[in-house]
Amino acid sequence: MNFGKQLKEGLLTQNPVLVQLLGMCSTLAITTTVANGIGMGLSVTIILTLSNIFISLLRRIIPEQVRIAAYIVVIAGFVTMVDLLLQAFFPDIAESLGVFIPLIVVNCIILARAESFASKNKPLAAAWDGICQGLGYTVILLVMSAIRELLGSGTLNGVEIFPADYAAQMLALPVGGFLTLGVLIALMQWAQSKSGKGGK
Amino acid sequence: MSKDKSRKPHEPVAAGKPQGLNYASLDTKYIARITGVLLAICAVTALLLGVVNQITKPLIDAIQKEKTDAAMAQVLPADEYPKAETSAPGVTALYQAVSGGTQTGWVAETSTSGSQGAIDMMVGVDMDGKVTGVSVIKHSETPNIGTKVVSDQSVLDKFVGMSHADGEITVNSGANRFDGVTGATYSSKGVAAGVNAALAAVGALS
Repeated sequence: MNFGKQLKEGLLTQNPVLVQLLGMCSTLAITTTVANGIGMGLSVTIILTLSNIFISLLRRIIPEQVRIAAYIVVIAGFVTMVDLLLQAFFPDIAESLGVFIPLIVVNCIILARAESFASKNKPLAAAWDGICQGLGYTVILLVMSAIRELLGSGTLNGVEIFPADYAAQMLALPVGGFLTLGVLIALMQWAQSKSGKGGK
Repeated sequence: MSKDKSRKPHEPVAAGKPQGLNYASLDTKYIARITGVLLAICAVTALLLGVVNQITKPLIDAIQKEKTDAAMAQVLPADEYPKAETSAPGVTALYQAVSGGTQTGWVAETSTSGSQGAIDMMVGVDMDGKVTGVSVIKHSETPNIGTKVVSDQSVLDKFVGMSHADGEITVNSGANRFDGVTGATYSSKGVAAGVNAALAAVGALS
């Protein structure tokens, strides 16, 4: 078990969004404001960590043939719990994230980590993997939502930086999500090929 | 153009062992085990969800009621809001607004489609059939575009005083005109449809 390596993988070399290209749908959809990005990122991190721990604990009990069904039940259970708890205790966040909280069930980052990591590792490592991968997701959401909110509507976390009339409204629309994500993926590829050339 | 003649068209490329499920192991005992484990996981999850629901339901209901009450008080302030019967399309609930024993108007809860999904609103209507206020409870409009209609109270307040005396309210045209927000026509139409539904429901009663 290697804490530093897992953290580096989650944030950079195996970043769930930019390198593994998972969870694109929610990434594109909710990154219109910084508040949404943070709320979604943290919700996914919590659910990912919990589901990783439980799937790791159950890894010897779950039969191989029904593992996907079992993972989905565990993940859906946690998502519903987080959804209910958010609605009860943080109604503002629940309202702004709306339908995207229930949709975390089908966020492929969670199923992918369950399948490729949690089902093969001990609970502690799986929990740390959930935190690292979740942080990697959250950081990208934060970067994307900051770019899109600032350039798309002239605000940053609701604070006006410049008048909205001068903003490129296109960036707040779905098309802006694709453009921003494309640029970030390209940057990541470029950075990785650079560091690869320099020798490890 | 060279064809590989060593292989017949429908022959598999490599005849290996069949991959995937090992059917030999699918005996009754194994099936029972798979089913049992899956059932147990589902049962435990369902139990936990039941517990969480028990804890959060009263809180969520209270928050929902608080929001509804606040929205009703905003569109038409009154002492109490007894529920009324309605079957008008687009109206999910209709309440009488009663102050000091006399009815001052109606409050209709409407649900109409905007550009991204349903827009749920509270619409207050006075006894003359005029709109007293509009408040959006729930929506999923595009941030920075649709929200220029549904989240801007000054836009929603443009409905105040409108009625069905000159026919249905239409967006950007007609005699009973509501000026929508540029670039957010569908959201504007959705909100107008909610107000129309409320006015129609009240109109059908009197």
